[in-house]
Amino acid sequence: MRFKVLAFAGSPRRHGNSETLLDWVLAAMDESEDVSVEKHALTDVMVAPCRGCNACEVLNRCVQRDDMDWIHDRIIEADCIVLSAPVYCMGLAAQAKALVDRAQVFRSRKYVLKLPIIPPERKGKRMGLFVSTAGQHWDYVFDASVPAVKCFFHVIDVRERDLRYLMVNGVDHKGEIDRHPTARGDAERMGREIVERLRTLQAEPGAG
Amino acid sequence: MSVSVLGISGSPHRHGNTETLLDSFLAGAEAAGATVEKVILRELDYMSCRGCNVCHKTGLCVVQDALTPLLERILAADCLALASPIYTMGITAEMKGFLDRGQALWAQKYILRTLEHSRGHLACHAGVFISTAGMGSGQVFDAAIPAMKAFFGTLGFEYSANILANDMDRYKGIRGHPTALVDAFKKGGEIVKTLAACSQ
Repeated sequence: MRFKVLAFAGSPRRHGNSETLLDWVLAAMDESEDVSVEKHALTDVMVAPCRGCNACEVLNRCVQRDDMDWIHDRIIEADCIVLSAPVYCMGLAAQAKALVDRAQVFRSRKYVLKLPIIPPERKGKRMGLFVSTAGQHWDYVFDASVPAVKCFFHVIDVRERDLRYLMVNGVDHKGEIDRHPTARGDAERMGREIVERLRTLQAEPGAG
Repeated sequence: MSVSVLGISGSPHRHGNTETLLDSFLAGAEAAGATVEKVILRELDYMSCRGCNVCHKTGLCVVQDALTPLLERILAADCLALASPIYTMGITAEMKGFLDRGQALWAQKYILRTLEHSRGHLACHAGVFISTAGMGSGQVFDAAIPAMKAFFGTLGFEYSANILANDMDRYKGIRGHPTALVDAFKKGGEIVKTLAACSQ
């Protein structure tokens, strides 16, 4: 497989709106023979919150031993990282925020230790996608989640220009996304576009 | 009855910048005659919201843990001070996990309409957000505020003040900040005086 897609379903509810939206994206990506998709639900893994000890600024690794050990490696290996999470109380659901905060080790590596996150030949060739849903209809309902998401992708070396957003508001109860007029089509289009761009980026010479 | 102030720290650090700033606020409140109490989320055993939406029908959370009595205590307080450092442009996962569990109260208020707060109630209940951040940018708190606004609104507290101190990395901690601790102490006193006048 040329392209590895690593996806996180960050909702505490399995197969709800944000995960369904994610699944549509992943299914569209999976249609391509050169793409492999790996999805992990955060309900099935143990990722404790960051303890804020800043030891990673010296150790270049987290002092906590949990599933972040292997997730950390997968994040480095992936060509595309997809984070899906619903908006709860005007922000990322706590489970997703815990994962985002544990990316602190990448921030320390990048800015304190000044070490590479990914090999130089892969720089500027990866993509990121944030998939989200919210019960409220407000058009600003995702605004407070986006800064954390931007930081997450930034520290794992996905450039802002290579980060995409798929956010659907006004879906609350399980299954509501199925009745949304455009969500499924938008998700499938997003999946295909990202794969297309991964191919374009890989064909480009030099690091970005 | 004295004014009751409940401070909740969502920092994984004990006695770090955020909790120290909260302590200063609580000390100011106590000096003004309030009864103060502090809860450390990290010491509690609790789950985040499961997103099951059962509370939309029953008004009750299916999860019963350390947050169950805490949410009750919050509803009995006159002032709620929520303290969290900024991690990745937002509040900590501990604080977010706690706020997300307010969903049952949100359902009581906005779906079932069994929880109501009069304008008079809001005027006598203050919500305060206390935060610190390593980064210098003053905008570092912006994305944390909507969650606070939503939570205070649901629980019937008027969002009265932000006590924020950024640039902790440069100041080498809250104690190196020229004004933050004194300002927090003063704010604690001011809010208690306002609430005391209100309840008379």
